Amino acid sequence: MSASTADLPTSTPAATAASQYDAIVRSGYEHGFVTEIESDTLPPGLDEGVIRAISARKGEPAFMTDWRLAAYRKWLQMPTPAWASVHHPPIDYQAISYFSAPKKKDGPKSLDEVDPVLLETYRKLGIPIEEQKALAGVAVDAVFDSVSVATTFREKLAEVGVIFCSISEALQEHPELVRQYLGSVVPATDNYYAGLNSAVFTDGTFVYVPKHTRCPMELSTYFRINTANTGQFERTLIIAEEGSYVSYLEGCTAPQRDENQLHAAVVELIALEGAEIKYSTVQNWYPGDEHGRGGIYNFVTKRGDCRGARSKISWTQVETGSAITWKYPSCILRGDDSVGEFYSVAVTKGRQQADTGTKMIHLGKNTRSTIVSKGISAQHGQQSYRGLVRIAAKAEGARNHTQCDSLLIGDKCAANTFPYIEVKNPTAKMEHEATTSKISDDQLFYCRSRGLAEEDAVSMIVNGFCKEVFNELPMEFAVEAQKLLSISLEGAVG
Amino acid sequence: MTPGKGAQGQGSPAALFQDWLPAAGRSTGQSLPWLAAQRVQARARVRELGVPSPKSEGWRYSSLSPLLEQGFRAVGEASGEAGSALDPGALQTLLIPELRSHRVVLVNGRFDAALSALGTLPRGVRIGGLRDSLARDPDALEGLLTSVAGDGSHVFTAINTASLDDGVVLLMERGALLEEPLEVIHVALPASADARGHELAPPVAHPRLLFSLGDGAQAEIIERYVGPGGGPSCTNAVVEIALGRGALLRHRRIQDEHADGFHLSGVYLSQGADSRYEGINIGLGGRWARTDLVMRFTGEHAECDLRGLYLAGDRQLLDYHLDVHHGLPHCASRENFKGILFGKGRAVFDGLVYVAPDAQKTDAAMSNRNLILSPNAEVDTKPQLEIYADDVKCSHGTTVGQIEPEMLFYLRSRGISAGLARRMLCLGFAGEIIDGLGPAALREHVTEQVGARLEQAPL
Amino acid sequence: MLSVKGLRANVGENEILTGLDLEVGPGEVHAIMGPNGSGKSTFAHVLSGREGYEVTSGSVQFDGHDLLELEPEERARLGLFLAFQYPVELPGVNNTYFLKAALNAIRKSRGESELDAVSFMRLMKERLKVLHLDDSLLKRPVNFGFSGGEKKRNEIFQMAMLEPRLAILDETDSGLDIDALRIVADGVNALRDPARSMIVVTHYQRLLDYIEPDHVHVLARGRIIRSGGKELALELEERGYGWIDEVAA
Repeated sequence: MSASTADLPTSTPAATAASQYDAIVRSGYEHGFVTEIESDTLPPGLDEGVIRAISARKGEPAFMTDWRLAAYRKWLQMPTPAWASVHHPPIDYQAISYFSAPKKKDGPKSLDEVDPVLLETYRKLGIPIEEQKALAGVAVDAVFDSVSVATTFREKLAEVGVIFCSISEALQEHPELVRQYLGSVVPATDNYYAGLNSAVFTDGTFVYVPKHTRCPMELSTYFRINTANTGQFERTLIIAEEGSYVSYLEGCTAPQRDENQLHAAVVELIALEGAEIKYSTVQNWYPGDEHGRGGIYNFVTKRGDCRGARSKISWTQVETGSAITWKYPSCILRGDDSVGEFYSVAVTKGRQQADTGTKMIHLGKNTRSTIVSKGISAQHGQQSYRGLVRIAAKAEGARNHTQCDSLLIGDKCAANTFPYIEVKNPTAKMEHEATTSKISDDQLFYCRSRGLAEEDAVSMIVNGFCKEVFNELPMEFAVEAQKLLSISLEGAVG
Repeated sequence: MTPGKGAQGQGSPAALFQDWLPAAGRSTGQSLPWLAAQRVQARARVRELGVPSPKSEGWRYSSLSPLLEQGFRAVGEASGEAGSALDPGALQTLLIPELRSHRVVLVNGRFDAALSALGTLPRGVRIGGLRDSLARDPDALEGLLTSVAGDGSHVFTAINTASLDDGVVLLMERGALLEEPLEVIHVALPASADARGHELAPPVAHPRLLFSLGDGAQAEIIERYVGPGGGPSCTNAVVEIALGRGALLRHRRIQDEHADGFHLSGVYLSQGADSRYEGINIGLGGRWARTDLVMRFTGEHAECDLRGLYLAGDRQLLDYHLDVHHGLPHCASRENFKGILFGKGRAVFDGLVYVAPDAQKTDAAMSNRNLILSPNAEVDTKPQLEIYADDVKCSHGTTVGQIEPEMLFYLRSRGISAGLARRMLCLGFAGEIIDGLGPAALREHVTEQVGARLEQAPL
Repeated sequence: MLSVKGLRANVGENEILTGLDLEVGPGEVHAIMGPNGSGKSTFAHVLSGREGYEVTSGSVQFDGHDLLELEPEERARLGLFLAFQYPVELPGVNNTYFLKAALNAIRKSRGESELDAVSFMRLMKERLKVLHLDDSLLKRPVNFGFSGGEKKRNEIFQMAMLEPRLAILDETDSGLDIDALRIVADGVNALRDPARSMIVVTHYQRLLDYIEPDHVHVLARGRIIRSGGKELALELEERGYGWIDEVAA
């Protein structure tokens, strides 16, 4: 197949003629790709043909195909980011299959075939057996019908006008909304992984909350855990109209395995006047074995746009999984009096690496932001907080408070703090505090002298350290997160 | 006016700095193979590093364009060997009257024996011009000079090494004690006309300072960067400091260049076991000033206390970079910098505390607080911690804010005008740093200067 | 109950305990007094199993167990309790949660069932009442931001909850004004019991005005140089510690 120059959207003036030509030539030949492929899985490799095929398979409107192609052409010209404090072998983007069947036929047939270590963790977390199967990728029988659960919820949401569906469905049923907002917070040119995601994303979540509507329940991806395999390039778009409220929970505490090593999700949040979006994440992807083999690379772009006055976006994240985490959930505080929050607990142990933090871009007047970051490094864990607080010249009366604490367990780990603070307005007030410490022997001894085992004492102290963040999580999530943290740190001490 | 070089980050990077370097073979100490080798190596390093890209991490907030646009040329090339002289009367206006010191004057980086007043030096203490010292006793400097600053990644340090010609040397033997401070006055003069009345390109001077304190030696050093103004000038100083076991150095650096002054300084410190360094950096003047403080410990239980105060007003960029490397256990460092921004002033604070894997029991605390007084001022601050050891106590804190309205109100309710109240509060804010300055004459001088600067500020 | 024989212990190169002997029977209250640096706190810490002390010889038997072989939590579960001189702060760790975890760990090791939230709260209320304490401390993180007096009261409250068989009060009176001291002492007296022994370590006789000991020992240079009844405390108060060096030398 080939693309004619007429297909090139005019919105990509930066793409040089040479590379366009190159892309056109390449698209016809690479990997002998043909559109007639009926199979559910595309062969590995990436070119314009693959992107057209993805778009076609999903029956997307033409604007979407063009958008993807434009993103792809930009992406080809982007350098891979080299500045994050993480290290991994180069990724071969041509070795990845960018579209695969939603159901894996080669998954384990029953729990007997699942790694006992994983099952033990499920047991400790108190996860019901049927959910364990779902999480471990075992084909689920009729007993656990997540589709019907999801349907029930969706009906309830429909009553108040909230749209909660996959982004593929949204493209079919509400293309105008997707077209209006997709890429408006994270443009395809934003960064390397966002560019890749824009070109090849296969599915994700779409939420639309109408004006003056309070979403009646916590929305969670959990409800559609088996309705769609969102795959490694997930795309989430949440729009909160004027005066609305929504709380969205992503991920779950149970460790999830995935054969895809690279995960490059993009999440865009848009809060209009007076709207509030609360976005909570618990990320527990497979971190790899003790030598760091086989873990997930989690390169995520998450950004919220407080577009309207008095809007609020709050990110809360508990990151315990993945071999490499690279994410900076950010807020653009455009509307006057808008509020951005970032609460984060990140644990790195074994050979895990995390480079995470946030950006708070204060543009509007009297905008406020709060950053609370708690990093825990154990064993050979490497962790960096990287944060930007920018107070623009017109952001009269902007406020930021940043608290950034690191806890070190063992002497092979590392904790780095790289805050960037740019202030261009005299009425701004920003405070940044950071500490790095280890669990003191005195604290451990005190707990032990009251009868607590060392491991329980560590877990208690660590949970205390993370309290401010857990307080931000929805109740049942917070309890699970605490348990998760304790389990994550088992064996990390001593 | 001197025509600008039009250096907008275009053109060959190596060529841009060519004018900064003296013609090969003109510098002093050519007969010393070790020094010649260092110069050649540094020249290669300059070519290799080139002009820092605005995208590089160390330069993201400080654009080099204003500096490169001036078309500076190395001193000898710009103004002729004898061209830059300062008459004693002019020097008087630059002195601090009550300050008693062993005084060394550098004019555009050249040691000026006539203006210097070394007085009687205690036993075990040698002070002199670098050029003289290299001529008289080069062996005393071999292995010391350039060893602390090293090769490094800082192109301006490499330029200084490649141009190494004159400066100041302080050598203190074991246990020596310098009671009165050593005062180094760096005078930057603008371009002068040549014999035929043609205006020359503005000069850049590359003074090199070496302070070596033997075990247990104690000294206080005051460095002042001043100039009468009247045209652009640039000082690119490198200071190397080696402290022996248990040595104590109080180092006060007052950057008070004139309004067209450009300033670069790299301070490299190597601290032996149990030594203590107390550095106070005051940034008042200059149009564009960047200071890099690079600290290394070579023995345990050493303490490094770095403090700073910067006042940046209209057309000023004051830029401080701290690189504190804890490579050994049981060392402590304190970094406390405060800034006041007004007019269209800009300041950058980029601090890094690095704790290596074996540097257990490191105790480090970094703080950067800023008062921003006008709508057009800007501060960019980046206090970083990089920690690879677990048994450490490290913290950093940053604030950016304006004067607390409650405080202002309190003073005004007692009858003080708003302007004076602001100045009082700013001086109070600055006092934490200024109060650490000794001797009293210097402290009073700086307080006056700060007060005067605030007086000009449109508060 | 507790039998200490010929206990010698070092901190680094220095020998701090130089052959300490002490016998404590059930229900007895022993006061250990001595000047600064005599080894009082070291003794308390060695008993509770703190790291950083090297026992070079001697033995400590506690209810038939070789105490020195046990981990700190094992000692606590056997009924040993140390009220710290400087209780450490645990940011974010809720006091109630902490106590419940500790109590249940101890109960579990004794083969008793763990208390559920309701019975635990009931027990806590009851103990607060006995000690005339209010519950404001319980909602805060352990010792976090507590005043000196609050920290000491919290230690005594923990003792009331954990019901030790042997409580060691390490300079519990230090830093307390007279009112705070009285509250703490009243608490301790309320917890006196024929089955519970106590070792009160103190520099001053003052605390002993409120907590009346059965035996008083004078510690100097790492060993007990005199033992007697409560009148010994009064004698120390009058004569000071100056004479001790002569005796100990």
